[in-house]
Amino acid sequence: MRFLAVNGLSLHVAEIAAGVGRGPEAPTAVLVHGMAGDSMASWYLTLAHPLAERGMRVLLHDLRGHGRSDVPTDGYALDDFVNDLEGLLAGWGVTGRVHLFGNSFGGTVAFGYALRHPDRVAAITAIDSAPPTAAWFDRMGRRLGRAATLTATGRHAVSARRLRDVQRLLAETTIATELPASRLPDPAAFAAVTCPVLCLYGGDSPMLELAGPTERLLPQTRTVVLENAGHSMLVDRAADVRGHVVAWLDDLTTTALTGGREGRTHG
Amino acid sequence: MPTDKTAVLADIDAMLRAVLGDFGTDIEITAASTFRADLGMESLDVVSLAGRLQARYGDDVNFAQFLAGLDVSSMTDLRVGQLVDYVAESLGAVAAAS
Repeated sequence: MRFLAVNGLSLHVAEIAAGVGRGPEAPTAVLVHGMAGDSMASWYLTLAHPLAERGMRVLLHDLRGHGRSDVPTDGYALDDFVNDLEGLLAGWGVTGRVHLFGNSFGGTVAFGYALRHPDRVAAITAIDSAPPTAAWFDRMGRRLGRAATLTATGRHAVSARRLRDVQRLLAETTIATELPASRLPDPAAFAAVTCPVLCLYGGDSPMLELAGPTERLLPQTRTVVLENAGHSMLVDRAADVRGHVVAWLDDLTTTALTGGREGRTHG
Repeated sequence: MPTDKTAVLADIDAMLRAVLGDFGTDIEITAASTFRADLGMESLDVVSLAGRLQARYGDDVNFAQFLAGLDVSSMTDLRVGQLVDYVAESLGAVAAAS
């Protein structure tokens, strides 16, 4: 296992080199997982290798408080997670634009990074996620509150282990109060984020309510709804998610090659 | 490089115990052991195992391709023997080609 020292913490990282034929010019993909109970494994076991095979350098990490990364007692506002992403990119030596992929809250971190560095983001792929808004952070606060009351009754051993990690995160850190109280961006700031955006939603997921507001903030968003899918669609419907993401990335490549909006042929 | 299954199982047994740390001290690992129910592995342990397979076998064993044939839920129901078979076949193919 590899770790990077970032913002005083040791963060668990992994890298999958780009597939054959791609050298240092390979585009960089950064995969960010979700809140409380998620880890880099959700990406590693689903989309990470297919993206590498498509020629991307794939970078993963466990968020602070999650997986094998350090669990500080506080420092769980959105800005802290974005700070970590900044520090990791520096640690990885990434200087060009990155494709950001985020699952649930991981997508929110991706949008947060794009708001800070709009010129550093090539595209955002968000799985059952939303940009940082008051409505989404209110919902997150309620979810974190409910998670604190979960019990291990009748669960598999592996779930019990994960549950123990979640309960420790909620009991021993300030995440449940600090994260919902994060400083949020002015909605007008989203105008600076002009990169292509793909938002995938589960048709059965409560997150789908946030699709409309997301399109109003980021009108370039392409929204795709996966029917009969819930919030954990990245893992539960990995093949479908992979299909939509790869098709979209192919479209982006074609658009760039034919001098579309991303091709900057004007001027 | 071992291509017989007994030697591969011994390799993987050692990797699994390293991945599981304190959880792996007292357990019995056989070809019939399942990753989740018997070994108590979670998905991050599979990530860690992948790193150790890469370090041990390099590109001779394409764990990504092995994963691609499974979904995440069936991965945790995986038996050790299935991984041993895959590794032994991969190494056998390399040995036969060289």
